[in-house]
Formats: sequence, structure tokens, C-alpha cells
Amino acid sequence: MIRAENLTKRYGNRTVVQDLGFTVRPGTVTGFLGPNGAGKSTTLRMILGLDAPTRGRATVAGRPYAAHPAPLTQVGALLEARSVHPGRTARHHLTALAHTHGIPRSRVDRVLSLAGLTEVADRRVKGFSLGMGQRLGIAAALLGDPAAVILDEPVNGLDPEGVLWIRTLLKSLAAEGRTVLVSSHLMSETALTADHLIVIGRGRLLADTTVEELVRSAGGATVKVVTPEPGRLRSLLPSARFTEETPGTLLVSGPGAPEIGRAAAGHGVPLHQLTPQPPSLEQAFLDLTRDSVEYQAEQPTEHQGAAA
Amino acid sequence: MITPVRVVRSEWHKLWTVRSTWVTVLTAVALLLGVGVLMGATYTSDGGDSDVDTVVLTLYGSQLGAVSLAVLGILVTAGEYAHGLIRASLTAVPRRLPVLWAKAAVYTVTVLPLSLVTAVVTFLTAQVFLHDTDQAASLTDDGVLRALAGNAAGVTLLGVIALGLGAALRSVPGALGAFVGGVLLLPEVLGMLPYAAVDTALRYFPTQAAGVLGSATPLPDAPSPGAALLALTLWAAAALAVPAFLLPRRDV
Repeated sequence: MIRAENLTKRYGNRTVVQDLGFTVRPGTVTGFLGPNGAGKSTTLRMILGLDAPTRGRATVAGRPYAAHPAPLTQVGALLEARSVHPGRTARHHLTALAHTHGIPRSRVDRVLSLAGLTEVADRRVKGFSLGMGQRLGIAAALLGDPAAVILDEPVNGLDPEGVLWIRTLLKSLAAEGRTVLVSSHLMSETALTADHLIVIGRGRLLADTTVEELVRSAGGATVKVVTPEPGRLRSLLPSARFTEETPGTLLVSGPGAPEIGRAAAGHGVPLHQLTPQPPSLEQAFLDLTRDSVEYQAEQPTEHQGAAA
Repeated sequence: MITPVRVVRSEWHKLWTVRSTWVTVLTAVALLLGVGVLMGATYTSDGGDSDVDTVVLTLYGSQLGAVSLAVLGILVTAGEYAHGLIRASLTAVPRRLPVLWAKAAVYTVTVLPLSLVTAVVTFLTAQVFLHDTDQAASLTDDGVLRALAGNAAGVTLLGVIALGLGAALRSVPGALGAFVGGVLLLPEVLGMLPYAAVDTALRYFPTQAAGVLGSATPLPDAPSPGAALLALTLWAAAALAVPAFLLPRRDV
């Protein structure tokens, strides 16, 4: 169990994390979501005692991380991908960390094989690809057979096979009863593994919810319509909301596909496509964090169509 | 369970699993031995160096060797910040201070015996060439063993100062600059000032104190070897006290 209470971090007069409170429970995968710069990494560093909170506190199993006599058995963490001396081999890196807790050599071998690094264990980390570096970070996180695992953007830089490996690993760690907290800025990726979601933006809590609830709150489904006469269709459905993706392609929210089809048929508006779209988690995430992204690009192709 | 012994074992493992340790240590040994042999082989009794202390003459290379070992001290601490390894180290030992003490301990138990053995071997090797000159001496001569041990202690404590600077400044180039500028060059610059009080204080500065420790014969106007050892130990302690104060208080 990982708990944050009123967690606040200020650098000078810039507030990176503000009054953040949440609980991460064992046995499930909890996704920690937010746009870049939302304060995810700072929050995770505060949980691990690397950064001191300006206010509030974070605890692991009821105590600050640093107060545990054997912290690596409480939490295993992957923070930045490379927290490794490039001239040391993977095995020596892990062995050095293992010595601090008296973790036996056999455990080092075990996590090397879990991470699929046995063959490169005696190679210097300098030559590792981004994905291998990430695997080494995860091997280090699992070294103490920890009750909780914290992974900051673990799929970054991984190839599809590696991404799949992480998904399976996260689920199996949670199934073993461990607490699993995984940060990401990608909703779609997180939704594949996480049951619970903590969403933050600009250092504040935006949502503490389950994936199911978020889907439900994402609002009604939309219907994709392709027609050569978008103007006429709009005038036929005064209560609907339109988003014109490209000229002639409309995303309609409000009426369902049958209603749109009937209206178009009744007035002879030709339709080339009429496709119901499932509610998008990505969209729900974007809606949630719209006001808190640091850098927003203009989207010149998307015109917000108001009801005609 | 984290114990001090386990943290020391971890730091020991870290020290000997990177190449830079071997490079700096072997460089220091080669400089000390090489310069010592050169000094011995080229020495002539009528060359005008008869008043130079035998141990100082033989271990002339230790000034260069000390720089190489200071680099090692800086890499042990500041080097971890260069690669982000410090985050892994302090996540494993979140109380932090044991890491600093273990680094200082591992460095000392590596550099002190190594310097001592190298100093004795260099002295004996140089004496092969010097036995028929006015610099002929043996280990049992007055002050010789003490000076050889003093040289090793001086080099080690200078290295601990570098290690402390690395931990405080968290940057390899920064700490290297501070060591060369503050420890090696600053006393030379201050020595040019025309104040007697400055001259007296300078005799207790790290490099001067190390010089006193490495001389078999007493130097004029210099503190006793005991006072020099105390001064140098206090410098090293201060150089560790600063990061020991900062380390638990700073974000990593």
C-alpha cells in the first residue's frame, strides 16, 4: 500500500505537485497518468524519498520509505531508465545493489533471467539499447522481491515484444498480490494493464477512478459520418454536436446511427459511411487534462462544428 | 536489512567493477615507481641535490600520483551523479549517510596500503641506484619508515579531500577544478602575499602538511609531523563534513 497525503512540492515559486492525495492498493495495477510535466516523476521521487516534499507526506506500508530497515523489499522502483554506470556490467550493477541488503547472488541471476538479460549480463551497460537499459532497470526494481513496484514510464523505448512483456509482467506482479504503480502519459497503453487510474495535471489530482468508470464518464458514443453534403446533414439534426475531421467527414455526438440514417434517408442526403464509434479513453483523458497540458499544439485540421 | 558492513561491501564491489579505478590506481603506482627509479638512476652526488631529503627525492612522483588518486576519489562520489547511478544508490540506502561513509572507508582502505607498499618498493628500488651516493639510506635509518608512511598517509588524506569535494559539488569537472585550484594552487598564490600570519597558516594547508609528513628530516619552520598529520586529518574531516551535512538535505 502506497499513500500520498497533501503531497506538495515547490521549486522556488513554481509548484510542481500540489496537495496530492491518493492510495495505491495491493493486488491491482494502478496507472498513474498525466501529460508531460504534470508532476508524475516528482511524485514518484517523493514516495522514494529522493525528493523531500515541501509539505505533506508519502508512506509505503504505513511508514516513510526511508524508515524501512530493508527498503528494497518494500518497494522496487524503475525511475529514469539509466541509473547505471555505463562501464559496469549488468551483473555487477545488480550485485552492488544487492550487497546493500545482503541479497544473495542467486537472486541476481533470477532477476537477470526474469528480465531476459542472462545472455548480456556480463556485457558493459554502455552497449545496451534503450530497451535493454529499461529491462535492466526493471531487473533492479525486482531485486528485493518487493511488496510494491513503482515504474516510471516503463514502456518508453521498448519494442513491441518488450511492451507486451511489460504488460504481462505488471499483471502477474499484481496477481501475486503486490502493489503496482505505473506512470505513463499514454492512456491507451495504460488502459490495457491498469484497473485503477490516478490522473494528475499540473500537479493536482484530476481523477482517482477505475478504467470502467472513466469509460462510462467519457460521455456518449459518437458516430462517424461521411457525406458529400455535410451542410445539409447539419441542418437536419439541430440538436447534434458536429466535429468535422476532414471536409466531408463528421463526428456526430448526440443522435445515434439509426436516427442520423433515418434523417438522411428522409431528405435524400447521400451517406458514404455511417459508423458508430466506441467512447474513446484517449478522448476522456484528453478532456480531463485539456487545461493542464504544458505545451499545446494548434490543430489546424480540426474545426469545432457548432450545432447549425 | 541494511547494515554498515553491507553498504561497505556494495561500495567495494562498485569500486572494483569499473575500469577507471584500475586506470587511476595503476597510473599512480607507475608514476611513483617510474619517477623514483628515474631519480635514483640519474642522481649524482655532485649534482647539487645533496641537501634534499632522501625520501622526498625518491618519492618525487607522489605529487603526480596524488593527482591521479584524487581523480579516483572524485569519480567515486561525483562520478555517480554523472550517470544517475546515485538515484539507484540512494534508493537502496535511503538514509544516505552510510553511502558516504562507506565510500570514504573503501577509498581509504584501498589507497592507504597501496600507497604505502608502493612507497616502500619505490624507496628500495631507488636505493639500488643510490647505495654508492650521498643519498644512500636504509629503511631502518632515522625517520625513513615514518616518512614513507607519512607520504602514504598524506596522499590518502588528500584523496579523501577530493572525494569529499566530489560529494559536495556533485560534478566531476567541478570537483576536479576545486581540487586543483583550491587545494593545489591556492596555497602557492597565497604564499606570495607579504603577510607573516598567512605564511604561518599556509604551513598547515593540506599540501604543505602532506609535504611535512613525507620528509624524513625535519623541514625548517615547519610544524612537527604529528601536528601536520592532525592538520591534514582535520582538513579531510571538514571535506567530508560538508557533504555529510548536505547529502541528507538535498533532492537527488
